[in-house]
Amino acid sequence: MISRQISRFFHNTSLLWNVNKSDLAKLRKKTGYTFANCKKALELNNNVEEAEKWLKEQAQSLGWSKASKLEGRKTSQGLVGLLVKENRAVMLEINCETDFVARNKKFKSFVDLSVNSCFHEVSKINTGSELKKVTVAGEELKTLPTPEGKSLSDLSALTISELGENINLRRAIYVTCPEGIQLASYAHPNNNNTTNVLTGKYGAIIAYVADSYDAQRQEWAMQLCQHVVGMNPKTVGIMGEDEPAVDKDDELTMIHQEFLLDPELTVSQFLANSGIKIVDFVRIECGEPLEAVEEPVPIKAVG
Amino acid sequence: MASVLTSRLVFCKVAQPNCWQSFFNQTTLKNVGKSTRLNQCLPSILSITVRSYAEKKVFQRSKPHCNVGTIGHVDHGKTTLTAAITKVLAEKQLAKAKGYAEIDNAPEEKARGITINVAHIEYQTDKRHYGHTDCPGHADYIKNMITGAAQMDGAILVVAATDGAMPQTREHLLLAKQIGIEHIVVFINKVDAADNEMVELVEMEIRELMAEMGFDGANLPVVKGSALSALEGKQPEIGAEAILKLLDEVDNYIPTPVRDLDKPFLLPVENVYSIPGRGTVVTGRLERGIVKKGNEVEFIGFSKSIKTTVTGIEMFHQILEEAQAGDQLGALVRGVKREDIRRGMIMCKPGSMSAQDHFDSQVYLLTKEEGGRPKPLVPFMHLHMFSKTWDCAAQVNIPGKEMVMPGEDAKLELKLLRPMVLEKGQRFTLRMGSTTVGTGVVTNVLPLMSEKERLLLTEGKKKREKAIAAAGGQA
Repeated sequence: MISRQISRFFHNTSLLWNVNKSDLAKLRKKTGYTFANCKKALELNNNVEEAEKWLKEQAQSLGWSKASKLEGRKTSQGLVGLLVKENRAVMLEINCETDFVARNKKFKSFVDLSVNSCFHEVSKINTGSELKKVTVAGEELKTLPTPEGKSLSDLSALTISELGENINLRRAIYVTCPEGIQLASYAHPNNNNTTNVLTGKYGAIIAYVADSYDAQRQEWAMQLCQHVVGMNPKTVGIMGEDEPAVDKDDELTMIHQEFLLDPELTVSQFLANSGIKIVDFVRIECGEPLEAVEEPVPIKAVG
Repeated sequence: MASVLTSRLVFCKVAQPNCWQSFFNQTTLKNVGKSTRLNQCLPSILSITVRSYAEKKVFQRSKPHCNVGTIGHVDHGKTTLTAAITKVLAEKQLAKAKGYAEIDNAPEEKARGITINVAHIEYQTDKRHYGHTDCPGHADYIKNMITGAAQMDGAILVVAATDGAMPQTREHLLLAKQIGIEHIVVFINKVDAADNEMVELVEMEIRELMAEMGFDGANLPVVKGSALSALEGKQPEIGAEAILKLLDEVDNYIPTPVRDLDKPFLLPVENVYSIPGRGTVVTGRLERGIVKKGNEVEFIGFSKSIKTTVTGIEMFHQILEEAQAGDQLGALVRGVKREDIRRGMIMCKPGSMSAQDHFDSQVYLLTKEEGGRPKPLVPFMHLHMFSKTWDCAAQVNIPGKEMVMPGEDAKLELKLLRPMVLEKGQRFTLRMGSTTVGTGVVTNVLPLMSEKERLLLTEGKKKREKAIAAAGGQA
C-alpha cells in the first residue's frame, strides 16, 4: 500500500518535471517542429495548446538562430521557379544543400511563395513601351514582403529550421513587356505542379511576336523555350548579321542552331515556318556560376 | 592501361603460375579490350584476389561480401557514424580507422567515365566483409547504382533523436526504393542529447514513416546510440556497444547477395570458330555460374534459340573439367553449324534467359566534359545500345519528361528494333555515332512488342521524314 503510494507519488512528480510522452507525441505530430523544441515548449508551458502557441511565437526566433548557425554552408542544389501572367514574368533561383531537399514538398512550397512575392513586385512595374529585363540580387529579394506581411528572409529562416539545411535566395529576373509582345515559359524537369508556378532545375522565358496567338503558336513558343533550356544559346542573333559558327555543335546564336525538337531544321527555319519572331529570352540554370551582376538596362526589341 | 595489364601479369604469376601465365602471354596483346574487361570482373569472382603491388595487403576472401550505405539528413551524423564504425572495428583489427574529414571530403570518383561524389570504405565484421558507400546527394546514389560501382544491398538510415524524421526523410526513403534497397536498418543517433521518451517517440515515428513508404516498419531493426560517443571513446553503452549492436543487426537483417558463381551460367558469345574434325567452338568470358562438359545449353539472340550440349571446354589450349565465372573459355558444342551462332548471342542454362525488346531503364546522360553530347535527349531519338557482346538500335521514350539534359539521370523506356538477350539489372551503354551518350541499367522488362508496334518504330520515323520533306519542299 505504502509502496504503491510512493510509486504514484514518483510518477506524478516525474509528470511534473519531465514531459508527458503522449503530449510530446501529439505536439510533434501537430506542429512538425523538432522533438527537442517540442520538449522545451512542453517544459515551459502547462499544456499542449499553450505549448503550441509558444512554439509558433518562438518559431521565428528559433528559425533565425538556426539560419545563422547554418549560414555559410555551401548551397549548390536547389530549384528555379517561374511564373508568367500576361505581359509580366518572374524567374527566381533558390538554392539548398542537397537535391533531396530540392525535391521536397516543403521546399517547393517555399519556392512557390517566393515567386508569388516577387510577382507582386513585378506587377507594380509600369510595362512602358519597351521590353524590360531586370536582374535582382539575393540581398534585395530577402527584404521583399510576403502576403502574410513577413519578409522573405523571415520565411526562409522558418524553412531553414524546418528542413535543417541552409537555403539561399540567389537571384531573380523580372521581365515585363509592352502590349503586342507575348511571353512564354518552360521549366525542366517539369515537376507535376499543383500551382501556377513552374519549378525545375532549368527555366527559360521567351518574349515573342507572332502572326496570331492561338493555341498552336503558344505550343510552339513553349517548344522554343524548351530549345533555349536544352541548347543554351547566348544570343537570339540577327539574320544576315550573325554568321553561323563553323562547328554546328559550338553554335551559340539561337537562330543558327538546330531546332531541338526537329534537328532537320534550324531555329530560323522553324521560326519562318511557324510565323513567330523571337524578341529576347532569359535562361537560368540552377547552380550555374554568376557573371557580374549587370545593371538593369531595358533591352530594345530586335527585329 | 599498360600498367594494369602488367600488374595483372604479375598477379597471374603469383597466383597460378602455369596456365594463367601462358594464357596472358598468348592473348594479352591480341585481346587488350577483353583482358581489361576480365580484370574488372576478377575481384568479385575469383576466390582469392592478390594485388600485385608488393606493399599492399593480400585480400582474403574468406567471408561473404555485402555492400551497404548510409542515408539520412546532413546533420544527423552519417559521416560520424561511418567514422565510428571504422574506429570500433579497427580496435578488433577488422578495419582501418578513418577520420571524419577523410570520409566527408570524399574525392570525386570516376566510374565508367562518370564523375561521382562518393566515399567508399571497407570493413569487416566477424561474419561478413562490407563495402560501405556514402554519397552527399540523390544524383550521386543514382549514378552509383547505374555504373554499378558498388550496388547497395542494404542501407543504414541515420536519424537524430533530437530532431526526429526530417521532411526530406521521405525523399531519402524514395531514393532507397528507387535504387532497389529493400532492407534498411535504422540508427537513432545522438541519444545522449535526448531522453528516453524522446528516443522512443522517434522510434515510433520512424517505424510509422517506413511502413507508410512500403518498408517493413514494424519489424525492421532500430538501434539507438551515439556515434560521437563511439568516436570519442566515451560512454561505451551508447557508444562502441551500440555500434557493435548496429553491425550485428546489419549482419543479420541485410541478406547476403547471391554470388555470381552461384547463379545459372551465362556466356556472351564473342567469337565462333569452326574446327575441322571437331565441330563448332564458341569463345567468350563466362559471366556467371559454372559450366561443365555435358551441360545442356541454349543459345539465344537474333530471334533464334538453339538448344544443344557442350561436349568440351578448353581454356588456354588445355581441357577444362569445369569452367567458373570469370574464365575466358572456348566451348565445343554439338550439332550446331558455325553460321547458326554469331557474336552477340549468349550461351546460357536453358530457360534462364530470354530475348526482350521493350524495357524500362534508369539512364545517366554524360555531360560534355565526361565525353557525352552537349545536347539533351528528346523522345523518339534513335540510339545505338551496347550490352554484353551485342549491339542494337533502340528508340528512346521519356515517360514524364519532355527531354533529358546532359548530366541528368532519367527513367527511359527503350524499344529495340529486334529482341536481344536482356534481363533486369543488366547494364548497357547508349551511343550515337562515335559519342557515348549515356549509360544505364535495366530496371524492368516490359512485355514483348507486337509486330505492329515494332513496325511502327521504323514506320514512325519514315512518316516523320516524309513530313519533314514535305515541309522542306514548301519552304
